[in-house]
Amino acid sequence: MKSISARQTGIILFLTILANKILLLPSIMYEKTKADSLFVMMLLFAFELFILWIFFSLKNKYPNSSLKELLQKSVGGKIAKALIFVFLIFFLFKTMLTYSVIYVYLKDLVYQDEFGLLAIICFIPVVNHGVVCGLRAMSRSFELFFYLVLTGVVFCLVIAFFTNISIPYFFLSNPKDIFNTCFTHFFSFGDYLILFIFMDKIKFDNQGKKTILKFVGLGITIVLAIFLIFYCKYHDTAFMHNNAIADLLVFSVQFNAIGRLDIIAMVTIMALGLFQMEIFQYAFCESFVMVFPKLSLKYAIAVFDILFFIVYFVLIGKYEFMIMVTTNYLPYFSILSNYILPSIIFALSYKHKKELKHEKSV
Amino acid sequence: MIQNKVEKIIEKYKIEFHNSNDFASRIFNKGEQMVGMLFLKSMTNPELFSQTIYMPLQQCNEKIDEKTLCEKILKNNSIEIIEEKNIITNILDGKVVIFSDSFQGIVSVDVLTFPSRAPTEPPTSPVIQGPREGFVEDFKTNLTLLRRRIHSKDLVFKSVFVGNKTNTKVIISYIDGVANKKVVEEVERKINAIKIDGVVDSYYILSFLEKRPNSLFKQIGNTEKPDIVASKMLEGKVAIIVDNSPIVLTVPFILMEDLQSSNDYYTNHHYSSLVRVIRILGLMIAIIAPGFYLALQLFHYNVLPLNFLITIADTTQGLPFTPFLEILFIFLLFQILYEVSLRLPSYLGLATSVVGALILGDTGVKAGLISPPGVIITALAKIALYTVPEQQSQITVLQVIFIILGGSLGILGIVTGLVFVVNYLNTLDDFSTPYLAPYAPRIANDLQDGLIKHSINDMKTLPKSFPNNHKERSK
Repeated sequence: MKSISARQTGIILFLTILANKILLLPSIMYEKTKADSLFVMMLLFAFELFILWIFFSLKNKYPNSSLKELLQKSVGGKIAKALIFVFLIFFLFKTMLTYSVIYVYLKDLVYQDEFGLLAIICFIPVVNHGVVCGLRAMSRSFELFFYLVLTGVVFCLVIAFFTNISIPYFFLSNPKDIFNTCFTHFFSFGDYLILFIFMDKIKFDNQGKKTILKFVGLGITIVLAIFLIFYCKYHDTAFMHNNAIADLLVFSVQFNAIGRLDIIAMVTIMALGLFQMEIFQYAFCESFVMVFPKLSLKYAIAVFDILFFIVYFVLIGKYEFMIMVTTNYLPYFSILSNYILPSIIFALSYKHKKELKHEKSV
Repeated sequence: MIQNKVEKIIEKYKIEFHNSNDFASRIFNKGEQMVGMLFLKSMTNPELFSQTIYMPLQQCNEKIDEKTLCEKILKNNSIEIIEEKNIITNILDGKVVIFSDSFQGIVSVDVLTFPSRAPTEPPTSPVIQGPREGFVEDFKTNLTLLRRRIHSKDLVFKSVFVGNKTNTKVIISYIDGVANKKVVEEVERKINAIKIDGVVDSYYILSFLEKRPNSLFKQIGNTEKPDIVASKMLEGKVAIIVDNSPIVLTVPFILMEDLQSSNDYYTNHHYSSLVRVIRILGLMIAIIAPGFYLALQLFHYNVLPLNFLITIADTTQGLPFTPFLEILFIFLLFQILYEVSLRLPSYLGLATSVVGALILGDTGVKAGLISPPGVIITALAKIALYTVPEQQSQITVLQVIFIILGGSLGILGIVTGLVFVVNYLNTLDDFSTPYLAPYAPRIANDLQDGLIKHSINDMKTLPKSFPNNHKERSK
């Protein structure tokens, strides 16, 4: 089996943490919880770490098992498929969300005019090709682009940091608002669920666990830094800036002789968006093959593309509608997929282990 | 007419060789004994033939048999007794085959000669410092060049014949104990499986060794320099030498090899690191510069510094072509000039340069057909291409692809194109070797000889990017 290393896993997590949280999220969150959105993010990241903890525990107990094997042993084939089906839906919507966020950015700031067909021509074949190439090839590509993306994001932060910024007022929102905002943005999280889908393809030891945590820590730190600098820079007008990382550069003082620097943000966002779409579509396809084992990966890609085109005409490009769906309806689904389902898997695996021990002792 | 055994054999092989003009036979009568000789005039040295075979036979007074022929009479170092079924092969190898009606054995004597050039510096990889020898068409000379560099009993040369008609000698070479056995076996298996009428150059067998022969990207290393092959074999790679070809193939191959030059190892490693970084920049400029320029000009002009934007606007005003067609036109012009300069006799080279640079370029700009920024960007990309000359054909194709992507989809096209290409490159893993190692996946040990080159003292172990057996390099 073509496996991936701890470093590659860490980089995948780093890129998924960054991709859909550094554009739209800071401005949407600001509407409700102002600069306290930073605490919302911290809380959501803490929940996210809970998923990571469950994954590490599962990996410790069953280092070579796949999610399907694990669930089949515990609850039987049909329920296992039903549980994985939830993941399948989750990854479909996650890919859509990523695409929508990138789409809004590219349409508003980069291409302005009609962009729909152009975007599909660019994204879909490349993302499909990434899935065909497989997890190992993709993770190697992420490894190669990692420093480029990191440099791009840090560059945006540094440039923004050296412009006029001031600390915003914190603790203006009450805890209820903070928890409410947490709830409404559950769907923007749950990135670590991808690990469950290809858990049998990830190989690492204790040192590897530290490596993964290092990259996760780096990702979280960068996202929080972007939130902080974004709020320091825009204060009460933050809700108007829908493309956080890009706006940090666009509205910064131009450096003499360099000209406009937003091309760096542009390239970074495009690369991040592509990578995240690749990894989520791959997770969708893997879940699809687990649910429908008789169909190959190529069928999974075809099904994804058809669903993508259907949802494209319903959701993508309609900014308000997209935000309404992701903040009003999808949070309920996210609670199931992000937190309840991993907890069930963990509990089942624990039960399965107890049964195994019992069988051995008998 | 009654024919004896010698005449019968000569007649038989004359027919076998279709009475070819260079096929020769000699009958030598020594008393009652008749000795026959078969050889190809085009492949044998007449002086050597006379001195080592004909004269000694004439001067000989004793009865001739295989033993006396081999031990006493013939004055040649390369004599062997062969079987009848090998007569044709020996004749084709430039040997004289001797037989008689009075003894059973067949003796073969090597008097091969053919025009051969000296191992001069190859035009494709000149060095400022370091060895200047290059491989030649004669495989024996090539083997000597390698033996001279690796004085070890572990250096192995295994020969295989490929090609139904050409019967070309292909030599698989490696250092036993350093090269990975599985890689050697895989190379042997692939070469033995080749079914082709002829192998004229090493390039003919290259596609049989590649896992994806239809891929744009190079998957097998090739060089004309024995020092490079020797150093690759010391790292555990396998070399494939083909008779009549000065290009030696090496496997496994990683892209990083083409970013390295033999010069890097004969100069200060700090300087080598700088040059390697420049090379990778050159590679990137060569691939994406024209496409990127088009993307900026057509889709993202607002990110250009104002002064630069004004310059572009000034120079492109009134051009008859769209920017996309303009860049394609200049690219085509450069490519035509390149092809012409390759094929024209050298005395016409200067004329081509004048026509290309002055008449077509300068006058084209003055006539308002093409713009100076377009010419500069395309020329820059074409010049940058030669920072990695080994990848010239691949980069040229990629240039066209990225011109189309940048011109039709903007920066998004460039980024998606790059991600597509990198994803594809990461699927190439011939001989269990990741194509983009040591960066994807990151192999810490091999970064010492990556873009930033360390001193030879620091490279204590052999590369881990590809399979090899021996671990230590120095202590």
